[in-house]
Amino acid sequence: MTTTTSSWDARKTELELPEEIDLQVEVANVGSRTLAILLDIALAGLVLFIVYTLMILFARNTADDWMTKLTSNAVTTLLILLIFGFQWVYFNFFEWLWNGQTPGKRLLHLRVIKADGSPVSGIDVLLRNLARPIDTMGPMGLLGLLMIFVSRKAQRLGDLMAQTLVIHEVAIDWSIFDQVVREAVASSSVTAPSIRLTAGQWELLHRYLSRRETFPDDTRQQLAESIYKSLKPAAKGTELERSTLPAQEWLIELARRT
Amino acid sequence: MNLGTFVRKNRPHWQKLESMLGVIETRGPRGTDRLFLRELTALYRMTTGDLAFAQTHYRGTTLLLFLHQLVARAHNQIYRPHRFSAKVFDIFIRRDVPRAVREHLPAVTWSIIIFLMGVGLGLSAVQFDERAASIILPSSVLNSIYSGQLWTGSIFSVVPSSIASTYLFTSNISVALLAFAGGLSCGLITAAILFQNGFMLGVAIKLCANYGLLGALLEFIAGHGLLEISSILVAGAAGFVLANALLNPGSLSRIDALAQEGRSAVRMALICVPALVVAGCIETFISPSHFPVWFKAALGLTLGTSFWLYLLFTGKSAPIKTE
Repeated sequence: MTTTTSSWDARKTELELPEEIDLQVEVANVGSRTLAILLDIALAGLVLFIVYTLMILFARNTADDWMTKLTSNAVTTLLILLIFGFQWVYFNFFEWLWNGQTPGKRLLHLRVIKADGSPVSGIDVLLRNLARPIDTMGPMGLLGLLMIFVSRKAQRLGDLMAQTLVIHEVAIDWSIFDQVVREAVASSSVTAPSIRLTAGQWELLHRYLSRRETFPDDTRQQLAESIYKSLKPAAKGTELERSTLPAQEWLIELARRT
Repeated sequence: MNLGTFVRKNRPHWQKLESMLGVIETRGPRGTDRLFLRELTALYRMTTGDLAFAQTHYRGTTLLLFLHQLVARAHNQIYRPHRFSAKVFDIFIRRDVPRAVREHLPAVTWSIIIFLMGVGLGLSAVQFDERAASIILPSSVLNSIYSGQLWTGSIFSVVPSSIASTYLFTSNISVALLAFAGGLSCGLITAAILFQNGFMLGVAIKLCANYGLLGALLEFIAGHGLLEISSILVAGAAGFVLANALLNPGSLSRIDALAQEGRSAVRMALICVPALVVAGCIETFISPSHFPVWFKAALGLTLGTSFWLYLLFTGKSAPIKTE
């Protein structure tokens, strides 16, 4: 397993799958993990606030019938259980139920997985979350932050003990490949000699083409110019190299010939 | 193959896989049928093949990133670990917990020693100077003892028992789990918790003895005390197991030792949860009640000794079945 550090906040790590291919995943950064925790705290805080308000309301109601007393006791008991539940149960329960996600993590597309790429089991979840008083809660959170920041795979103490990582799942947006289909139809009539682009160049060209409508005119022009400059060498030796078309049209022509 | 052709050719089955993953992620594998799962694994294999191809030919493209994501999601569904079941729970209780405790008897011994040191120091502190009690006992408890009454009577007559029992077992479980997690501080927090609890007990015993309340105190703690203290001691021992892995990792790296020992330590810590719920209920409903002393003592002794007998002697020949 190797880890490449492209920049401090986008660490990628490779996991080896049973199918003998290396799976590249993006390790979640300090910022998104902190935000996920804050979202979880906000959610729990909201629930606690509602129950606390109920408790105060029932406590003020001094009517002496057994119904009121019973409800008041039940609400107070519930509050104690909820406070305990948030401290020790919340993270364990959700990460176990939702395969490594809490509500906060789900909103930010984070997920806990084992360091070997497999999904987390109940014991892994318990190990990483029971360590929270030492590396997440209150002032000890500083230790967790520091560890996520410096450790190679952004693991806090609990993650190291449970051998887990938190990854960022990039949503898959197939729309940038929609252009491929349209171009295929458009290019069927053109019989110019084809130009070979590298995969990276090809993708650059098609991303530009699929997104160009969304840019304002001057940005589109600038972008087309710079992509034109970087792709020009690829058209060497064809009539497209000598063509005097403006950059935008030139790129469309290029797409037809690849 | 041109990237465009590659995408055009394979995109239908990637998108099919993606939509099937959406279904299985929301419904779970039980919400699908055999044909569905067979198709899912077939698509998964095809996509891993595409990923391998893309890794060779299309390095540095967004497509590669997408395929990585897709395969990761499918992998998560296909290789999911065994879900929690009654059988897993049974093995956990009957085999894993007692084994974990027996493997770490030195840690248990240390936990007991530090607790007893706390008790001893608490006893001698009050012997030396009664005012030492105010370090650790709240003033309401002190005033109650000075006026010749056990503090427990006033608490349990005012607070409804549902609230009291819930409060007692949640706070005790928090202490136990913190003693476990405290192992990550190289055992300092664990030792502090054990010592503090021992010290409190020592102080309370000596102070009550000074005011002629020893009998009443012992009657109160007879029912739940042994089980409650034993649970905290075992959780503390679990903390020391973690600390030992960090401080004496042996031939492993510290991180690997922690990961290995953590697995058995967490089992020791978890057995405290049910034990402390039981102890909390006894403390609320039986200890302050007017049950005869012999009943409370017998109950406490039975629970305490069976807890230790269970940890030390059971689970030796339970059927070994991993997975």
